[in-house]
Amino acid sequence: MAAVPAKIRAFVKQLVQLSLVDARVSSEQVAGILEYLEKNPPARPVAVLQAYHRAIATEIAKGEARIEHAGSVTPEALSAIAAALGQRYGRPVAAQASANPTLLAGLRVRIGDDVYESSVAGQLAALSAAS
Amino acid sequence: MSTVLAQIESQIAKLSSKAVRKNTGIITTVADGVAKVSGLSEVMYNEMVAFPGGVIGIALNLGEDEVGCVILGDVSQLKQGDEVQTTGKLLSVPVGKGLLGRVVDALGNAVDGKGPIASSESYPVEKIAPGIMARKSVSQPLFTGIMAIDSMIPIGRGQRELIIGDRGTGKTTIAIDTIINQANINRVGLASGDPKFRPVYSIYVAIGQKNSNIVRTIAALEAAGALEFTCIVAAPAADNPANQYLAPYSGAAIGEWFMENGMDALIVYDDLSKHAVAYRQISLILKRPSGREAYPGDVFYLHSRLLERAARLDGKGSLTALPIIETLAGDVSAYIPTNVISITDGQIFLETDLFNQGIRPAVSVGLSVSRVGSAAQIKATKQVGGKLKGELAQFRELAAFAQFGSDLDAKTKSQLDRGSRIVELFKQPAFSPISIELQVVTIYALQKGYYDTADLKKVTATSVSIREFFKARQDALLTEIRSKAALDKDLEAKIVAALDAWKSTAA
Repeated sequence: MAAVPAKIRAFVKQLVQLSLVDARVSSEQVAGILEYLEKNPPARPVAVLQAYHRAIATEIAKGEARIEHAGSVTPEALSAIAAALGQRYGRPVAAQASANPTLLAGLRVRIGDDVYESSVAGQLAALSAAS
Repeated sequence: MSTVLAQIESQIAKLSSKAVRKNTGIITTVADGVAKVSGLSEVMYNEMVAFPGGVIGIALNLGEDEVGCVILGDVSQLKQGDEVQTTGKLLSVPVGKGLLGRVVDALGNAVDGKGPIASSESYPVEKIAPGIMARKSVSQPLFTGIMAIDSMIPIGRGQRELIIGDRGTGKTTIAIDTIINQANINRVGLASGDPKFRPVYSIYVAIGQKNSNIVRTIAALEAAGALEFTCIVAAPAADNPANQYLAPYSGAAIGEWFMENGMDALIVYDDLSKHAVAYRQISLILKRPSGREAYPGDVFYLHSRLLERAARLDGKGSLTALPIIETLAGDVSAYIPTNVISITDGQIFLETDLFNQGIRPAVSVGLSVSRVGSAAQIKATKQVGGKLKGELAQFRELAAFAQFGSDLDAKTKSQLDRGSRIVELFKQPAFSPISIELQVVTIYALQKGYYDTADLKKVTATSVSIREFFKARQDALLTEIRSKAALDKDLEAKIVAALDAWKSTAA
């Protein structure tokens, strides 16, 4: 993947700012931007759209907590995790749970670039890496 | 079996239930030993990052959208989409006396097949150099064992003395001789039981060299019995440029442990020209702007922050640095050589012409200097060798004049003869350092005219004969010279008597 030129990066940054409503990606805003870009294609439209896609995916990931769990997790627990993360990061966070038996027990939460490891599998891996 | 199960259960019970937070990213490209990673939003500059498969990298380029990480390991396993994690740690290497006698790579891993390194401490590879108030002036000598250097370009503990010259002029040989001489001095000093004796431990950092050269160096050190006091950090030419870039800093960290713990160490960087080339390669791949000769703009800082870590500390130990720079066609005004010359406390300049004439070590006394100077010399050396540099300077001027073959007066002829004898006296074979007490005796014999009757071509053999005589029969006198470190009338009389005794046996 070639490096994105600075002008495209700056343009995409502006588009991402316009795509947010209350610090969250708004599908209406995104649709409006795409419509605008179709009618007024920029130079190197493919590169712009690819960069926009990556940036929006990153923004969505920041507002979405992917909670992997082994065993059952109650909806209350998921809400509590989402609320705690929302408080920590200062923005609304939605929780999305998925079962992952390879964790053995515990949870692994991914939000944006951060991973919160509280699973047995993760701690066993850390133990073996330390030895 | 139930005990085994109980052990495992107790280990599982000990596992903390506290969540551990890691910052992650995804590899977008991997090429030429550098991975571009998107994410890693909280990574810090120079932080260690963990790639899959236990591969380690360092974050060197912190961009808005991506992080450029130099990979220190096998890149073949990595691919686009792999997850990268921050470790929250700076790169560190194991330090301590357990590294003596070992060969390690730039990350401190043993590569000599002698098992893991016995070390309980680790020091960060990148560290800020000691401040002004923590330092002390250089006043203790570090003897290289090479007469031309110890008498005219003396080096002190805590000094940075550059060894610079073209390829094949004997730069590495000077460094190895110095390391061997430290080992010889250490053995004598430790055997004497003197509580004030401070051994010097050596670190040899091989950067971008052929593996065969490194093996030869190790063999030379082992044959001379110097390996037990030496640690070798190897980043050969086949190693990736990231390891070649880090190796000198890892060596400096190992040396700093000795310095911080009240001991003296010597570090040789062989050579910093290849180090600059490796850094240039990494910087170009990271798309950093290039400057003169395509080197990045901070190539001066690359070497200044490394060499400033060599110092003499107040109340602690010292780290003496001997960086080596290879010039092309003797051009000391090139970019990297001038950078390092301006950083160091002097240079030993080796000339190809002198080497080809058989003057080895091929030290150009005119262009070499030690900015510490006689502050790092014992009084005995100053007494016998104080005028040598001036005499050699006069000899060089007259030698050019004498080439025209005109009739010369007696005084000029005697100056030319004396200069020629000094040049012959300073010839020394490789891997044969001479102890300081024998140097004093050798040069004292010159000052008293004991070589005047010998044929010019036999001056070197005569000096060898004198040293052999003193080693065999005047051990007590040598010990006295070494311990007093100055020549009083009584000691001079003993040396003259011993030289007369040699003369009668040699006649």
